[in-house]
This record gives sequence, C-alpha cells and structure tokens, in this order.
Amino acid sequence: MKTLIDGIKNLCIGMVTVGKHLFRRNVTVQYPTERWEMPERSRGIVVLLSDQETGELNCTVCMLCMRACPASAITIEYEQGEKGKRTLKDFIVDNTICCFCGLCEETCNFAAIKMATMYEFATEDKESLIWHMDKLQEMGRDVPYEKPVRKKPAAAKPAPKPEVKADGEKPAEPQPAEAASTGNTAADPAIANEPEQKPDNRKPDQPAEDQT
Amino acid sequence: MSESRGLHTKEFTLNVGPHHPSTHGVCRFVLKMEGEVITHVTPVIGYLHRALEKICENRTYEQIIPVTDRFEYCTAMSCNMAFSLATEKLAGIEVPERAEYLRVIMLELNRISSHLIWLGTTSLDLGALTPFLYAFREREYILDLFEMTCGQRLTFNYIRPAGVSRDIPPEFIPKCREFIDMFNDKIDDYERVLTENPIFIARNKNIGILPPDVAIAYAVSGPALRASGVKFDLRRDDPYSIYDRFDFDIPTRENGDCYDRYLIRIQEMRESTKIVRQAIEQIPEGEIRGKFNKMNFKPPAGEVYCRVENSRGELGIYLQAADKEKKPLRVKMRGGSFNQLQVMPVICVGHKIADLVAIMASMDIIMPDVDR
Repeated sequence: MKTLIDGIKNLCIGMVTVGKHLFRRNVTVQYPTERWEMPERSRGIVVLLSDQETGELNCTVCMLCMRACPASAITIEYEQGEKGKRTLKDFIVDNTICCFCGLCEETCNFAAIKMATMYEFATEDKESLIWHMDKLQEMGRDVPYEKPVRKKPAAAKPAPKPEVKADGEKPAEPQPAEAASTGNTAADPAIANEPEQKPDNRKPDQPAEDQT
Repeated sequence: MSESRGLHTKEFTLNVGPHHPSTHGVCRFVLKMEGEVITHVTPVIGYLHRALEKICENRTYEQIIPVTDRFEYCTAMSCNMAFSLATEKLAGIEVPERAEYLRVIMLELNRISSHLIWLGTTSLDLGALTPFLYAFREREYILDLFEMTCGQRLTFNYIRPAGVSRDIPPEFIPKCREFIDMFNDKIDDYERVLTENPIFIARNKNIGILPPDVAIAYAVSGPALRASGVKFDLRRDDPYSIYDRFDFDIPTRENGDCYDRYLIRIQEMRESTKIVRQAIEQIPEGEIRGKFNKMNFKPPAGEVYCRVENSRGELGIYLQAADKEKKPLRVKMRGGSFNQLQVMPVICVGHKIADLVAIMASMDIIMPDVDR
C-alpha cells in the first residue's frame, strides 16, 4: 500500500512538470508554411557565384576546389587557350556524392564557389541531382557573399591573396602547387575535357598509394 | 528443460534485430531463451561497416576530417578532435590558445547533446515519451549553436589539425551563456520526470549489473565504467588539450546497474555545463588556427595514438604516416561502443528479454561506432 501511494505521489511530481510544459510556448515550426531561418554559415547546396556587375562567374579554373573535395563530387571541364589561359567549359557538382563538408568553399581564393543556405533540392530521379554550370550559376545568383579584396579576378596569377574570411588559413602556398598540377592535368586537353575524369582528381598525388 | 505449472518449455533461439527500434542502428542479437529468461547472447555486428578506416588512407589529412564526422554521428566533434590531436602530435604542431578554448566548448556541448540523445532514446525505449521530447528540444539549442559556428548540425568538420575551421560568430557567447543558464533547470525537469519515477526505477534498478572487474577486463570505458565505481576519465587521468585548467568533478557510482548509468550521465551533463561556463569566461582573443599546410601537409614518418574522452568512453585514433606522404598509411579507430557491446553477453544472462532493451539502452551503444 505504501509503495502504491509513493508511486502515485512520484508520478504526480512527474505530471506536474509535464503540466507546466503544457502551457509553454510552442516550439514546433509548421514546416511547409513556416520556415526556420537558416544561419548565415549554414552549409547547404553548392552554388557558383557570379560577379554582381558583369554577371560572369568568378571561377578562374584553378581546380583547387576539385582537389580539395574529399568525395570527388566536383568535376571541372575547361579549354586550354593560348598562353596557358583556361576557360571554363563546364562545372559539374554531383549532389549525390557531395558530403557538404565545405572544403571547396574554404579553399577557393576567388569567392567563386559557396555552400548556400538552401537545403531543398530533392528531386524524383538521380540524374537531376547532377548539376551543371548553368544550373549552379542560376542557383548562386542571389546568394550574398563577401567579395575578395582584389576585385578583378585575374586568371591563375600566383600572387598571394589577402584572406577573404579571415579564418587564419594561409592561402599563399596553393598557388605554386596549382602550377605544378597544371603540368600534369593540362598536358592533354582532350583527356581533361572528358566528362568522367574523377580518378584524375588524385592523379597529382602518388597513384601507387591508392592501392595500398 | 524447465517445468512450471505443468508447462514444458525448451531452449528457444530468438533474433532481435538487425532492424529493431531499440538497437539504435543495425545490430542483431541472437538470444537463447529459456522461457522469457535469457541464457545466452550473441551480438552480430558488421551491418554498418563502411570501410571508413580504408577510406582515410586515400585522403589527405584535411580531407579526413569530414570522414571522421561519420565515425560516430552523436559526437562528431570528439572524432574530429582525436584525429586532429593525432595529426598535431605526429607533426609537432602548436595550437593557438583561443582554438583550444573553442575546442573545449564545442567538445563539452557535444557531450551534452550526445547525452541528451541518449536520455531521449533510452526513455523512449522504456516507454516514456515525454523526456524524449524534452531532451530533443534542448538538444536543438546546442545544434543551433553548432550550426551558427560551423554551418552543420551533425557533421561539423570543425576541429581541424592546428586549430578550428572558423571563429565563433559574435552572437555565440551570449547564446551559449543563455543555454548554460537555462540548462541546469532543464536537467532538473528530466530528473523530476525520471529519477523518482517508480516505473523507471523498476525497469532500471539492479538490471544489468556490471561489476568493476568485468568492466576493466572488457576495457569498458566512459560513463558505463564510472557507474561501476572505477574513477577513470581521460580528461582527468590523461589530460589532453586544456582540460587540466578547468574545475570539474568526475562522478562515480557503486552499483553499476542501468539506473546508475542514468544518474552518471545526468551528472556528467551538469559537469559539462560547468566546464563550458568556465571556458566562455576565460576564452582569450587571438588566432584560431596555427600553421598548417592544407593542401600539401606532409608529416614526418611515425606512428601515434591519441585518445579523447567522449560521451561513450575512450575514443582513440592510431595514425601511422609514411615519410613525406600526403596521405596516412594507416588509420585505426577505437570507440567505446565496441567494448560496451562485447560486455553485453556477460551482463544480460539471467535477465528477462525486456531487460535486454534497457541494458542496451543504458550502455549507450551506437552502431556506427562499433562497425565503422
């Protein structure tokens, strides 16, 4: 009998706590009609950023994002022009394997790629998750971003850039590395322009180590 | 063969899982039952094996950090931390003071959020829906703090070799303080609903007793070990980062049953708020990332083992590097969940099948940490 009374008493203590919460403000957000405001740094889908005045992409085809991507989700196709100047042909982001780590955005010295706060990109088929340059540019039109300090994006000029986000990285050294990788990947533009070149991502590193 | 009231029973094999709500992942238990009493337990693992250790061997050190997020989804910060510590130890990298404080704040908040997941799912397994909703509501505050800092709610990619990826935004400290001030009252709420609850006590007290010698023999660590009365916490016994600067207690209990493991975790959440409060008081200004070559980091040859205390016990990373290579030769993880799963056959025998759910829940096993 005593245990019964004790049990009821303790249940009541619990129910008082529950009762208090019953009259508190609702925390539920009714999703399709209401939306949670995403924090500015939230990492959603990858977009390509364009210059706000000219409307052209900020990308300078330095390939750093492609090399930084741990999931090999980025494929860059480019044309090798005269004097080693590269023009972007296509920029493919495979959202099916993107792991939303944000390393591409951190590596970029030109504010060309960003993880926007958008998160609704569900589709019905797998193919429409592979986004090409025009779609990525379209998605990135209204995404606000901080411009890099040097405004005009000069292509592949190995000058150490001032830091964009001031997060203590040292962007000075990737430039010579990029020059080195240019020698490898851009030697044969025909190969570099093939759409499926994911294994090439890690070519500049030691290929033998992949098998170990 | 046993006999009661004229009914004959014989040993019966029962599969629990792999898809069972109480296994928190995909784990299978092959049980041998005598009526409703468990006589033998065989955990079957491997359903969540993703070859993450092998994947690490094909990534550069910076690229491994997002992979470590996937080792254990509840406390990804400590996985980032363990790998960063190992890399730093390997190459002898200095970490700026502010980054150390940021790391501790994030690690402790992550510990709280992990314990909140545990509290919510455990109470749900035992039939109490209310604490689940409360715990996940408070966890949302922490996830918001993480999201405003590093942009992601679970796969943080925040703690990096030589520091952290980003500085906290200016609104972080006020929001964090607001959370800490509020959170102790919320823990009182959980305790009012659960600690004295007769059903909760009946389901947990004297269930799944883990004696200290068995716990040590099976290398159980974390709250499960401390609930058995062994005062071992890496934050105190093998201090990494700047944990030696903070004033906090290591709670221990004597019985080592499910109820003690619950109390230990509740107490640990309180201790974690203490650490976070001290850290946000003391945090200095300054750099957040030391010298680290992101694209071409090539450590000297060597092997290291670094361990941190996460919410499931000792999380260790063994890292072996070849000389002047961008990618590690071998990465091995040691998570607390594996050992806690291994001790299940010992402590489940003799209990009813419903107690298996309670024991599994109280051990706080998550399967990605077991398989990898």
